[in-house]
Amino acid sequence: MRPLLAEPLAGALLWSLVTIGFYWGAKRLHRRWPHWWLSPLMVTPLLIGGVVLALHAGYRDYIGGTRWLVLLLGPATVAFAIPIYEQRGLIRRHWPVLLIGMVVGSATSLLTSWGLATLVGLDGALRLSLLPRSISTPFAMEMSGDIGGLPDLTAVFVVITGIAGAAMGDLILARVPIASALARGALFGIGAHGAGTARAHQIGEVEGTVAGLVMVLVGLLNVLAAPLLVHLLR
Amino acid sequence: MSASVAHTARYLRRSPPMQIALQVMLVIGFWLLGEALVRLLGIPLPGGIVGLAILLALFATRRLKARRLRRGAQWLLADMLLFFVPAVLAVLDHRELLGLTGLKILFVILFSTVSVMIATALTMEACQRWRAAHAPAPR
Repeated sequence: MRPLLAEPLAGALLWSLVTIGFYWGAKRLHRRWPHWWLSPLMVTPLLIGGVVLALHAGYRDYIGGTRWLVLLLGPATVAFAIPIYEQRGLIRRHWPVLLIGMVVGSATSLLTSWGLATLVGLDGALRLSLLPRSISTPFAMEMSGDIGGLPDLTAVFVVITGIAGAAMGDLILARVPIASALARGALFGIGAHGAGTARAHQIGEVEGTVAGLVMVLVGLLNVLAAPLLVHLLR
Repeated sequence: MSASVAHTARYLRRSPPMQIALQVMLVIGFWLLGEALVRLLGIPLPGGIVGLAILLALFATRRLKARRLRRGAQWLLADMLLFFVPAVLAVLDHRELLGLTGLKILFVILFSTVSVMIATALTMEACQRWRAAHAPAPR
């Protein structure tokens, strides 16, 4: 098994097929039983990790064959132009409130991540990798590299944030009465990016639209603010 | 012969999978353009963001219709999760996360996320109330 896998092309084919296959299966599973703990975000990496370990391979072998999938996050970022443009009416009507929400949300995220990490004794690249975890992955990995974190680790933290945030958003809304659909949507979009947006779409149309929109805009805001943050961290 | 080739080409261009594939390739083209500009001009931004800005500018000046790219964009965005699954496997190289460090990280993520959600929602709720109170009176 080992010599065959060491062939770059065979490795790329095998790992890509394993990744796409498990992802496709996990999506079908989640459609059938839509529990948060069956989210494809969680199930797919677990299954692939099992295969990697079973074949006595390592992360290096695996990522060597699947790096092209991660590269597609670039075009995915570009694709956000379409929903942003189509929601321009909503932006024009509510931009002051949206902007205030995004600035407050981002500042809270950066400050509490930094503060809590320091409190429990995490530092160095680990603490920096935690900073951009509240934004959508393509933006988060970009920002993590910019500020001196480890983009791969940030991707892991982003996933945990999304899964936990989508579940906790419901608990928060059950206890804190929020009348404005705009605020309910932003809670999910800024707090739990993609997974939160999916949940917000189930709550209501306005909530889902706002969540998707602020998710993109807050990602942009953070990447643009990264050079400033680097300056502050020095 | 050439007529049937043209016919087939037209048919393929109109078929939904082909349309999506062409649109996705166009989006990838804008990403490559963004990457090229970033490298050539030394812009301190990710190439994807520059590609996004170019697209927005083209939409706003009506040189390109957002509708012409919608299906391809939807396809890329709907399955975006797949694109970062490989990056998540980085945990395999960080066994230290399985112990106490992992619990600490979980603590930071959970409490920070709850704070972000509550702070964001309450701030925007207050803004909306203020706006409603100061809105011009309805006729």
